[in-house]
Amino acid sequence: MTEPVITQRHFFEKAREGQLTAMRCGHCGELSVPPKTFCPTCSQRRWEPIGLSGEGTIASYTIIRVAPRAHAAEVPYAIAAVHMNEGVSLLGRVVDVPLERLTVGLPVRFRPLVSGGQTAVGFGPA
Amino acid sequence: MRRVAVIGVGVTKFGKHDRTSAELFAEAAADALADAELPASAVQALYYGNVVGGETEKQLHTGPQAASVLGIPTVPTTRFETACASSHAAFRHAVMDIASGTSEVVLVGGAERVLNVTTEESTEYFAYASDARWEQTLGLTFPGVFALVARAHMARYGTTEAQMAAVAVKNHKHGTLNPKAQFQKEITLEQVLKSAMVADPLKLYDCCPFTDGGAALVLVSEEVARKARRPIWVLASAAASDWMLISDKRDLSRVPATERAAAAAYRQAGLGPTDVDVVELHDCFTIAEIVATEGLGLFEPGAGGVAAEKGWTSLGGKIPVNPSGGLKAKGHPIGATGAAQIAEVVTQLRGAADRRQVDGAKIGLTHTLGGNTATVLVSLFGRD
Repeated sequence: MTEPVITQRHFFEKAREGQLTAMRCGHCGELSVPPKTFCPTCSQRRWEPIGLSGEGTIASYTIIRVAPRAHAAEVPYAIAAVHMNEGVSLLGRVVDVPLERLTVGLPVRFRPLVSGGQTAVGFGPA
Repeated sequence: MRRVAVIGVGVTKFGKHDRTSAELFAEAAADALADAELPASAVQALYYGNVVGGETEKQLHTGPQAASVLGIPTVPTTRFETACASSHAAFRHAVMDIASGTSEVVLVGGAERVLNVTTEESTEYFAYASDARWEQTLGLTFPGVFALVARAHMARYGTTEAQMAAVAVKNHKHGTLNPKAQFQKEITLEQVLKSAMVADPLKLYDCCPFTDGGAALVLVSEEVARKARRPIWVLASAAASDWMLISDKRDLSRVPATERAAAAAYRQAGLGPTDVDVVELHDCFTIAEIVATEGLGLFEPGAGGVAAEKGWTSLGGKIPVNPSGGLKAKGHPIGATGAAQIAEVVTQLRGAADRRQVDGAKIGLTHTLGGNTATVLVSLFGRD
Protein backbone atom coordinates (compact mmCIF):
# COMPACT_ATOMS: atom_id res chain seq x y z
CA MET A 1 0.00 0.00 0.00
CA THR A 2 1.32 3.43 -0.91
CA GLU A 3 1.12 5.96 1.89
CA PRO A 4 -0.41 9.31 0.93
CA VAL A 5 2.04 12.21 1.06
CA ILE A 6 -0.39 14.27 3.07
CA THR A 7 -3.92 13.45 4.24
CA GLN A 8 -6.79 15.82 4.82
CA ARG A 9 -6.20 15.40 8.56
CA HIS A 10 -2.53 16.38 8.23
CA PHE A 11 -3.53 19.44 6.20
CA PHE A 12 -5.87 20.71 8.89
CA GLU A 13 -3.45 19.86 11.75
CA LYS A 14 -0.78 21.99 10.06
CA ALA A 15 -3.35 24.65 9.19
CA ARG A 16 -4.30 24.88 12.85
CA GLU A 17 -0.66 25.79 13.57
CA GLY A 18 -0.90 28.52 10.92
CA GLN A 19 0.82 26.69 8.05
CA LEU A 20 -0.91 25.90 4.74
CA THR A 21 0.47 22.86 2.92
CA ALA A 22 0.15 22.11 -0.79
CA MET A 23 1.68 19.33 -2.85
CA ARG A 24 4.01 19.69 -5.81
CA CYS A 25 4.20 16.94 -8.43
CA GLY A 26 7.79 15.63 -8.62
CA HIS A 27 7.18 14.69 -12.26
CA CYS A 28 5.46 17.69 -13.93
CA GLY A 29 5.62 20.39 -11.26
CA GLU A 30 1.80 20.73 -10.88
CA LEU A 31 0.87 22.38 -7.59
CA SER A 32 -2.24 21.10 -5.84
CA VAL A 33 -4.24 21.61 -2.69
CA PRO A 34 -6.09 19.86 -1.10
CA PRO A 35 -4.44 16.43 -1.34
CA LYS A 36 -5.26 14.19 -4.30
CA THR A 37 -4.04 10.69 -5.04
CA PHE A 38 -2.87 11.17 -8.64
CA CYS A 39 -1.57 14.32 -10.30
CA PRO A 40 -4.48 15.59 -12.42
CA THR A 41 -2.03 16.79 -15.09
CA CYS A 42 0.35 13.83 -15.57
CA SER A 43 -1.39 11.03 -13.56
CA GLN A 44 1.84 10.31 -11.67
CA ARG A 45 2.01 9.83 -7.92
CA ARG A 46 5.14 11.69 -6.94
CA TRP A 47 3.79 14.37 -4.65
CA GLU A 48 6.05 16.33 -2.34
CA PRO A 49 4.61 18.54 0.39
CA ILE A 50 5.34 22.24 0.04
CA GLY A 51 4.46 25.06 2.42
CA LEU A 52 2.45 28.03 1.14
CA SER A 53 3.08 31.63 2.14
CA GLY A 54 -0.58 32.13 3.11
CA GLU A 55 -0.81 35.26 0.96
CA GLY A 56 -3.28 35.64 -1.88
CA THR A 57 -5.99 37.76 -3.47
CA ILE A 58 -9.77 37.34 -3.60
CA ALA A 59 -10.85 35.74 -6.92
CA SER A 60 -14.55 35.80 -5.99
CA TYR A 61 -16.61 36.26 -2.83
CA THR A 62 -20.11 36.21 -1.42
CA ILE A 63 -21.83 37.35 1.74
CA ILE A 64 -24.12 34.62 3.07
CA ARG A 65 -27.33 35.99 4.59
CA VAL A 66 -29.46 32.83 4.56
CA ALA A 67 -27.39 30.10 6.21
CA PRO A 68 -27.68 26.38 6.85
CA ARG A 69 -29.01 25.50 10.33
CA ALA A 70 -25.57 25.02 11.87
CA HIS A 71 -24.42 28.51 10.83
CA ALA A 72 -27.70 30.41 11.20
CA ALA A 73 -26.49 32.43 14.20
CA GLU A 74 -23.39 33.64 12.31
CA VAL A 75 -25.01 35.61 9.45
CA PRO A 76 -23.98 37.74 7.68
CA TYR A 77 -20.61 36.14 6.91
CA ALA A 78 -18.26 36.30 3.93
CA ILE A 79 -16.82 33.37 1.97
CA ALA A 80 -14.16 33.91 -0.68
CA ALA A 81 -12.31 31.89 -3.28
CA VAL A 82 -8.73 33.07 -2.78
CA HIS A 83 -6.05 32.76 -5.43
CA MET A 84 -2.88 32.05 -3.45
CA ASN A 85 0.34 33.72 -4.61
CA GLU A 86 1.83 30.30 -5.49
CA GLY A 87 -0.98 29.66 -8.03
CA VAL A 88 -3.43 27.34 -6.22
CA SER A 89 -6.77 28.44 -4.77
CA LEU A 90 -8.53 27.89 -1.46
CA LEU A 91 -12.02 28.63 -0.25
CA GLY A 92 -12.30 30.26 3.16
CA ARG A 93 -14.21 32.53 5.50
CA VAL A 94 -13.11 36.16 5.38
CA VAL A 95 -12.85 37.72 8.82
CA ASP A 96 -11.88 41.18 10.14
CA VAL A 97 -12.56 42.82 6.78
CA PRO A 98 -15.63 45.11 6.69
CA LEU A 99 -18.17 43.46 4.34
CA GLU A 100 -18.50 46.61 2.22
CA ARG A 101 -14.72 46.60 1.58
CA LEU A 102 -14.78 43.15 -0.03
CA THR A 103 -13.81 43.21 -3.69
CA VAL A 104 -12.32 40.93 -6.32
CA GLY A 105 -8.55 41.41 -6.23
CA LEU A 106 -8.35 42.34 -2.53
CA PRO A 107 -5.14 40.97 -0.95
CA VAL A 108 -5.76 38.70 2.06
CA ARG A 109 -3.72 36.48 4.36
CA PHE A 110 -4.53 32.99 5.67
CA ARG A 111 -5.48 32.48 9.26
CA PRO A 112 -6.81 29.31 10.90
CA LEU A 113 -10.34 29.45 12.28
CA VAL A 114 -10.71 27.00 15.13
CA SER A 115 -14.16 26.23 16.49
CA GLY A 116 -15.29 23.26 18.58
CA GLY A 117 -11.98 21.48 17.98
CA GLN A 118 -12.35 21.76 14.19
CA THR A 119 -10.11 23.94 12.02
CA ALA A 120 -11.41 25.74 8.95
CA VAL A 121 -9.62 27.93 6.38
CA GLY A 122 -9.95 31.63 7.10
CA PHE A 123 -8.56 34.80 5.60
CA GLY A 124 -7.93 38.17 7.22
CA PRO A 125 -6.46 41.47 6.01
CA ALA A 126 -3.09 41.10 4.24
CA MET B 1 -26.84 0.95 -30.94
CA ARG B 2 -30.62 1.17 -31.32
CA ARG B 3 -32.55 4.43 -31.58
CA VAL B 4 -34.54 5.44 -28.51
CA ALA B 5 -37.72 7.53 -28.32
CA VAL B 6 -39.75 9.23 -25.61
CA ILE B 7 -43.42 8.34 -26.14
CA GLY B 8 -44.96 9.39 -22.84
CA VAL B 9 -44.48 12.28 -20.39
CA GLY B 10 -46.09 13.17 -17.07
CA VAL B 11 -45.45 15.96 -14.59
CA THR B 12 -47.29 16.80 -11.35
CA LYS B 13 -48.21 20.35 -10.44
CA PHE B 14 -45.07 21.86 -8.89
CA GLY B 15 -45.34 23.53 -5.49
CA LYS B 16 -46.29 22.30 -2.03
CA HIS B 17 -47.83 18.86 -1.66
CA ASP B 18 -48.91 16.80 1.33
CA ARG B 19 -48.06 13.51 -0.39
CA THR B 20 -44.82 11.50 -0.24
CA SER B 21 -42.30 11.77 -3.07
CA ALA B 22 -43.16 8.19 -4.11
CA GLU B 23 -46.82 9.17 -4.42
CA LEU B 24 -45.88 12.26 -6.45
CA PHE B 25 -43.77 10.13 -8.79
CA ALA B 26 -46.61 7.59 -9.14
CA GLU B 27 -49.00 10.34 -10.25
CA ALA B 28 -46.53 11.54 -12.90
CA ALA B 29 -45.78 7.96 -14.00
CA ALA B 30 -49.47 7.10 -14.40
CA ASP B 31 -49.89 10.20 -16.58
CA ALA B 32 -46.79 9.27 -18.63
CA LEU B 33 -48.05 5.70 -19.21
CA ALA B 34 -51.50 6.99 -20.22
CA ASP B 35 -49.78 9.43 -22.60
CA ALA B 36 -47.75 6.53 -24.05
CA GLU B 37 -50.90 4.37 -24.27
CA LEU B 38 -49.06 1.54 -22.50
CA PRO B 39 -50.12 -0.46 -19.44
CA ALA B 40 -47.94 -0.42 -16.29
CA SER B 41 -47.21 -4.10 -16.98
CA ALA B 42 -45.24 -3.09 -20.11
CA VAL B 43 -42.52 -1.39 -18.02
CA GLN B 44 -39.30 -3.45 -17.87
CA ALA B 45 -37.12 -1.19 -15.70
CA LEU B 46 -37.33 1.98 -13.59
CA TYR B 47 -34.52 4.55 -13.46
CA TYR B 48 -35.32 6.97 -10.65
CA GLY B 49 -33.96 10.26 -9.32
CA ASN B 50 -34.33 11.35 -5.70
CA VAL B 51 -31.85 13.42 -3.71
CA VAL B 52 -32.71 14.38 -0.13
CA GLY B 53 -35.28 11.66 0.66
CA GLY B 54 -32.96 10.42 3.38
CA GLU B 55 -33.13 13.80 5.09
CA THR B 56 -36.63 15.20 4.45
CA GLU B 57 -38.58 11.93 4.45
CA LYS B 58 -36.17 9.69 6.41
CA GLN B 59 -36.44 7.44 3.39
CA LEU B 60 -33.69 5.62 1.53
CA HIS B 61 -34.18 2.84 -1.03
CA THR B 62 -36.54 5.22 -2.81
CA GLY B 63 -36.28 3.43 -6.18
CA PRO B 64 -38.05 0.20 -5.19
CA GLN B 65 -40.35 2.21 -2.94
CA ALA B 66 -41.47 4.30 -5.92
CA ALA B 67 -41.92 1.15 -8.03
CA SER B 68 -43.97 -0.47 -5.26
CA VAL B 69 -46.22 2.56 -4.78
CA LEU B 70 -46.76 2.62 -8.54
CA GLY B 71 -47.64 -1.09 -8.46
CA ILE B 72 -44.74 -2.51 -10.52
CA PRO B 73 -42.67 -3.97 -7.64
CA THR B 74 -40.73 -6.60 -9.60
CA VAL B 75 -38.97 -4.51 -12.28
CA PRO B 76 -35.24 -3.79 -11.83
CA THR B 77 -35.02 -0.36 -10.21
CA THR B 78 -32.10 1.94 -9.46
CA ARG B 79 -32.09 5.29 -7.72
CA PHE B 80 -29.67 7.89 -9.10
CA GLU B 81 -28.17 10.70 -7.07
CA THR B 82 -26.15 13.34 -8.88
CA ALA B 83 -27.61 16.21 -6.83
CA CYS B 84 -29.96 18.35 -8.96
CA ALA B 85 -29.13 16.40 -12.15
CA SER B 86 -30.32 13.06 -10.74
CA SER B 87 -33.23 12.24 -13.05
CA HIS B 88 -31.28 13.45 -16.11
CA ALA B 89 -28.53 10.97 -15.12
CA ALA B 90 -31.27 8.34 -14.72
CA PHE B 91 -32.51 9.24 -18.21
CA ARG B 92 -29.07 8.83 -19.79
CA HIS B 93 -28.69 5.36 -18.29
CA ALA B 94 -32.19 4.40 -19.42
CA VAL B 95 -31.28 5.49 -22.95
CA MET B 96 -28.18 3.26 -22.83
CA ASP B 97 -30.30 0.37 -21.46
CA ILE B 98 -32.63 0.51 -24.48
CA ALA B 99 -29.93 1.41 -27.02
CA SER B 100 -27.92 -1.64 -25.95
CA GLY B 101 -30.88 -3.94 -26.60
CA THR B 102 -31.44 -4.86 -22.96
CA SER B 103 -34.94 -3.38 -22.55
CA GLU B 104 -37.79 -2.28 -24.84
CA VAL B 105 -39.83 -0.11 -22.45
CA VAL B 106 -38.28 1.80 -19.55
CA LEU B 107 -39.80 4.23 -17.08
CA VAL B 108 -37.61 7.19 -16.07
CA GLY B 109 -38.29 9.97 -13.64
CA GLY B 110 -37.88 11.34 -10.19
CA ALA B 111 -39.52 13.11 -7.31
CA GLU B 112 -38.61 15.27 -4.38
CA ARG B 113 -40.31 16.51 -1.25
CA VAL B 114 -38.72 19.39 0.68
CA LEU B 115 -41.49 21.80 1.67
CA ASN B 116 -42.33 19.59 4.67
CA VAL B 117 -39.18 20.93 6.41
CA THR B 118 -38.02 24.48 7.28
CA THR B 119 -35.93 26.62 4.89
CA GLU B 120 -32.96 26.36 7.31
CA GLU B 121 -33.19 22.58 7.19
CA SER B 122 -33.55 22.33 3.40
CA THR B 123 -30.69 24.84 2.95
CA GLU B 124 -28.54 22.52 5.08
CA TYR B 125 -29.59 19.36 3.21
CA PHE B 126 -28.92 20.91 -0.20
CA ALA B 127 -25.48 21.99 1.06
CA TYR B 128 -24.67 18.30 1.63
CA ALA B 129 -23.94 18.24 -2.12
CA SER B 130 -20.86 20.40 -1.48
CA ASP B 131 -17.77 18.99 0.27
CA ALA B 132 -18.39 18.20 3.94
CA ARG B 133 -14.91 19.03 5.27
CA TRP B 134 -13.71 21.80 2.96
CA GLU B 135 -16.94 23.68 2.18
CA GLN B 136 -19.85 22.82 4.48
CA THR B 137 -17.71 23.70 7.52
CA LEU B 138 -17.43 27.25 6.13
CA GLY B 139 -21.22 27.60 5.96
CA LEU B 140 -21.27 27.58 2.15
CA THR B 141 -24.79 27.36 0.70
CA PHE B 142 -25.99 26.70 -2.85
CA PRO B 143 -26.92 30.32 -3.42
CA GLY B 144 -23.38 30.95 -2.10
CA VAL B 145 -21.82 28.70 -4.75
CA PHE B 146 -23.59 30.54 -7.56
CA ALA B 147 -22.92 33.90 -5.94
CA LEU B 148 -19.21 33.06 -6.33
CA VAL B 149 -19.88 32.27 -10.00
CA ALA B 150 -21.82 35.53 -10.36
CA ARG B 151 -19.08 37.70 -8.81
CA ALA B 152 -16.45 36.07 -11.04
CA HIS B 153 -18.64 36.58 -14.14
CA MET B 154 -19.31 40.20 -13.20
CA ALA B 155 -15.59 40.85 -12.61
CA ARG B 156 -14.52 39.21 -15.86
CA TYR B 157 -17.26 40.27 -18.29
CA GLY B 158 -19.01 43.21 -16.66
CA THR B 159 -22.25 41.27 -16.26
CA THR B 160 -24.73 43.31 -14.21
CA GLU B 161 -27.28 42.55 -11.52
CA ALA B 162 -29.93 43.98 -13.87
CA GLN B 163 -28.95 41.44 -16.56
CA MET B 164 -29.33 38.63 -14.02
CA ALA B 165 -32.68 40.10 -12.95
CA ALA B 166 -33.81 40.05 -16.60
CA VAL B 167 -33.54 36.24 -16.51
CA ALA B 168 -35.90 36.11 -13.52
CA VAL B 169 -38.40 38.50 -15.15
CA LYS B 170 -38.36 36.46 -18.39
CA ASN B 171 -38.78 33.07 -16.69
CA HIS B 172 -41.58 34.33 -14.46
CA LYS B 173 -43.33 35.64 -17.59
CA HIS B 174 -42.95 32.22 -19.22
CA GLY B 175 -44.23 30.62 -15.99
CA THR B 176 -47.57 32.44 -16.37
CA LEU B 177 -48.10 30.31 -19.51
CA ASN B 178 -47.49 27.00 -17.70
CA PRO B 179 -50.41 25.69 -15.59
CA LYS B 180 -48.03 23.26 -13.79
CA ALA B 181 -45.64 26.04 -12.67
CA GLN B 182 -45.14 26.86 -8.98
CA PHE B 183 -45.20 30.61 -9.75
CA GLN B 184 -47.60 31.90 -12.40
CA LYS B 185 -47.20 35.59 -11.73
CA GLU B 186 -45.14 38.19 -13.55
CA ILE B 187 -42.51 40.12 -11.63
CA THR B 188 -40.72 43.38 -12.47
CA LEU B 189 -37.01 44.15 -12.76
CA GLU B 190 -37.35 46.48 -9.79
CA GLN B 191 -38.95 43.76 -7.64
CA VAL B 192 -35.99 41.45 -8.36
CA LEU B 193 -33.39 44.12 -7.66
CA LYS B 194 -35.09 45.19 -4.43
CA SER B 195 -35.71 41.67 -3.09
CA ALA B 196 -33.87 40.51 0.04
CA MET B 197 -30.20 39.56 -0.33
CA VAL B 198 -29.66 35.79 0.05
CA ALA B 199 -25.97 35.46 -0.90
CA ASP B 200 -24.52 38.70 -2.24
CA PRO B 201 -25.01 39.50 -5.18
CA LEU B 202 -27.88 37.00 -5.48
CA LYS B 203 -31.23 38.17 -4.17
CA LEU B 204 -34.36 36.20 -3.37
CA TYR B 205 -35.76 36.56 -6.90
CA ASP B 206 -32.44 35.43 -8.42
CA CYS B 207 -33.03 32.06 -6.74
CA CYS B 208 -35.34 29.21 -7.71
CA PRO B 209 -37.75 28.11 -4.97
CA PHE B 210 -37.84 24.95 -2.90
CA THR B 211 -40.42 22.68 -4.57
CA ASP B 212 -42.27 19.40 -4.15
CA GLY B 213 -43.08 17.52 -7.33
CA GLY B 214 -42.60 14.52 -9.59
CA ALA B 215 -41.94 13.87 -13.28
CA ALA B 216 -41.90 10.74 -15.44
CA LEU B 217 -41.02 9.68 -19.00
CA VAL B 218 -41.69 6.51 -20.97
CA LEU B 219 -38.72 5.54 -23.13
CA VAL B 220 -38.97 2.85 -25.79
CA SER B 221 -36.97 1.19 -28.56
CA GLU B 222 -37.50 2.22 -32.17
CA GLU B 223 -39.57 -0.92 -32.80
CA VAL B 224 -42.06 0.01 -30.07
CA ALA B 225 -41.92 3.70 -30.98
CA ARG B 226 -43.06 3.01 -34.56
CA LYS B 227 -46.46 1.96 -33.12
CA ALA B 228 -46.72 5.09 -30.97
CA ARG B 229 -48.73 8.16 -31.95
CA ARG B 230 -46.01 10.81 -31.69
CA PRO B 231 -42.52 9.59 -30.79
CA ILE B 232 -39.82 12.14 -30.02
CA TRP B 233 -36.36 10.79 -30.74
CA VAL B 234 -33.39 10.97 -28.41
CA LEU B 235 -30.61 12.31 -30.64
CA ALA B 236 -27.95 12.46 -27.91
CA SER B 237 -27.47 12.15 -24.18
CA ALA B 238 -24.12 13.09 -22.67
CA ALA B 239 -22.69 13.62 -19.20
CA ALA B 240 -19.60 15.40 -17.93
CA SER B 241 -18.09 16.05 -14.54
CA ASP B 242 -15.74 18.58 -13.03
CA TRP B 243 -13.78 19.09 -9.82
CA MET B 244 -15.96 18.75 -6.74
CA LEU B 245 -14.29 21.58 -4.81
CA ILE B 246 -14.93 25.21 -5.74
CA SER B 247 -11.25 25.90 -5.01
CA ASP B 248 -10.10 23.37 -7.62
CA LYS B 249 -12.05 25.11 -10.41
CA ARG B 250 -9.64 27.36 -12.28
CA ASP B 251 -12.18 29.88 -13.61
CA LEU B 252 -15.39 30.40 -11.65
CA SER B 253 -16.96 32.45 -14.46
CA ARG B 254 -17.40 29.27 -16.52
CA VAL B 255 -18.86 25.79 -16.05
CA PRO B 256 -16.49 23.48 -17.95
CA ALA B 257 -18.74 20.44 -17.39
CA THR B 258 -21.49 22.19 -19.39
CA GLU B 259 -19.03 22.88 -22.20
CA ARG B 260 -17.81 19.26 -22.24
CA ALA B 261 -21.28 17.68 -22.02
CA ALA B 262 -22.59 20.00 -24.75
CA ALA B 263 -19.65 19.21 -27.06
CA ALA B 264 -20.23 15.48 -26.57
CA ALA B 265 -23.99 15.78 -27.17
CA TYR B 266 -23.57 17.89 -30.33
CA ARG B 267 -21.00 15.37 -31.61
CA GLN B 268 -23.32 12.39 -30.92
CA ALA B 269 -26.20 14.05 -32.76
CA GLY B 270 -24.12 15.59 -35.55
CA LEU B 271 -25.63 18.96 -34.67
CA GLY B 272 -24.44 22.34 -33.42
CA PRO B 273 -25.86 25.12 -31.26
CA THR B 274 -27.41 26.92 -34.25
CA ASP B 275 -29.56 23.85 -35.03
CA VAL B 276 -31.38 24.08 -31.68
CA ASP B 277 -34.89 25.60 -31.66
CA VAL B 278 -35.86 25.32 -27.99
CA VAL B 279 -33.85 24.92 -24.77
CA GLU B 280 -34.76 23.90 -21.24
CA LEU B 281 -31.71 24.59 -19.08
CA HIS B 282 -30.73 24.63 -15.44
CA ASP B 283 -31.56 28.10 -14.09
CA CYS B 284 -31.32 27.25 -10.39
CA PHE B 285 -30.07 30.84 -10.11
CA THR B 286 -30.30 33.60 -12.70
CA ILE B 287 -26.52 33.62 -13.21
CA ALA B 288 -26.68 29.85 -13.86
CA GLU B 289 -28.87 30.49 -16.92
CA ILE B 290 -26.48 33.15 -18.22
CA VAL B 291 -23.44 30.90 -17.84
CA ALA B 292 -25.31 27.90 -19.30
CA THR B 293 -26.36 29.78 -22.46
CA GLU B 294 -22.66 30.52 -22.97
CA GLY B 295 -21.46 26.99 -22.14
CA LEU B 296 -24.00 25.46 -24.54
CA GLY B 297 -22.61 27.66 -27.32
CA LEU B 298 -25.83 29.66 -27.79
CA PHE B 299 -23.86 32.85 -27.07
CA GLU B 300 -20.19 33.77 -26.77
CA PRO B 301 -18.60 33.68 -23.29
CA GLY B 302 -19.61 36.93 -21.59
CA ALA B 303 -22.59 37.59 -23.89
CA GLY B 304 -25.19 35.64 -21.88
CA GLY B 305 -26.19 38.62 -19.76
CA VAL B 306 -26.67 40.86 -22.78
CA ALA B 307 -28.74 38.12 -24.49
CA ALA B 308 -31.10 37.92 -21.51
CA GLU B 309 -31.41 41.71 -21.29
CA LYS B 310 -32.19 42.08 -25.01
CA GLY B 311 -34.88 39.39 -24.92
CA TRP B 312 -33.02 37.00 -27.26
CA THR B 313 -33.86 34.10 -24.90
CA SER B 314 -37.55 35.00 -24.46
CA LEU B 315 -40.42 33.25 -26.24
CA GLY B 316 -40.39 34.85 -29.69
CA GLY B 317 -36.67 35.67 -29.35
CA LYS B 318 -33.66 34.27 -31.28
CA ILE B 319 -33.48 31.11 -29.17
CA PRO B 320 -36.22 30.66 -26.56
CA VAL B 321 -34.78 29.41 -23.25
CA ASN B 322 -36.96 27.87 -20.54
CA PRO B 323 -40.41 28.37 -22.09
CA SER B 324 -41.74 26.28 -19.15
CA GLY B 325 -40.71 29.05 -16.74
CA GLY B 326 -37.53 27.14 -15.89
CA LEU B 327 -36.52 26.14 -12.41
CA LYS B 328 -36.99 29.77 -11.45
CA ALA B 329 -40.78 29.93 -11.97
CA LYS B 330 -41.86 26.36 -12.79
CA GLY B 331 -40.06 25.21 -9.61
CA HIS B 332 -37.18 22.86 -8.79
CA PRO B 333 -38.09 19.52 -7.15
CA ILE B 334 -34.46 18.49 -7.45
CA GLY B 335 -34.89 14.75 -8.05
CA ALA B 336 -37.56 15.41 -10.70
CA THR B 337 -36.05 18.39 -12.50
CA GLY B 338 -34.12 16.65 -15.31
CA ALA B 339 -37.13 14.52 -16.28
CA ALA B 340 -39.44 17.56 -16.08
CA GLN B 341 -37.17 19.51 -18.45
CA ILE B 342 -37.26 16.61 -20.92
CA ALA B 343 -41.07 16.42 -20.58
CA GLU B 344 -41.25 20.11 -21.57
CA VAL B 345 -38.99 19.70 -24.61
CA VAL B 346 -40.94 16.62 -25.75
CA THR B 347 -44.18 18.63 -25.40
CA GLN B 348 -42.63 21.48 -27.41
CA LEU B 349 -41.45 19.15 -30.20
CA ARG B 350 -44.94 17.61 -30.37
CA GLY B 351 -46.28 21.12 -30.92
CA ALA B 352 -48.48 20.64 -27.86
CA ALA B 353 -47.16 23.39 -25.57
CA ASP B 354 -50.24 25.57 -26.00
CA ARG B 355 -49.66 29.26 -25.17
CA ARG B 356 -45.91 28.74 -24.55
CA GLN B 357 -45.29 26.86 -27.82
CA VAL B 358 -42.09 27.72 -29.69
CA ASP B 359 -43.34 27.91 -33.26
CA GLY B 360 -42.10 25.12 -35.49
CA ALA B 361 -39.62 23.69 -32.97
CA LYS B 362 -37.84 20.69 -34.51
CA ILE B 363 -34.73 20.25 -32.32
CA GLY B 364 -34.76 20.64 -28.54
CA LEU B 365 -32.01 20.60 -25.91
CA THR B 366 -32.12 19.93 -22.18
CA HIS B 367 -29.32 20.83 -19.77
CA THR B 368 -29.24 19.84 -16.11
CA LEU B 369 -26.55 20.78 -13.63
CA GLY B 370 -25.81 18.93 -10.41
CA GLY B 371 -24.65 20.58 -7.22
CA ASN B 372 -21.54 22.75 -7.26
CA THR B 373 -21.24 22.55 -11.09
CA ALA B 374 -19.51 19.15 -10.76
CA THR B 375 -22.17 17.24 -12.76
CA VAL B 376 -23.80 18.27 -16.04
CA LEU B 377 -26.00 16.36 -18.46
CA VAL B 378 -27.03 17.56 -21.90
CA SER B 379 -29.50 15.75 -24.17
CA LEU B 380 -30.83 16.53 -27.63
CA PHE B 381 -34.22 15.60 -29.06
CA GLY B 382 -35.84 15.64 -32.49
CA ARG B 383 -39.17 14.83 -34.10
CA ASP B 384 -39.94 12.79 -37.22
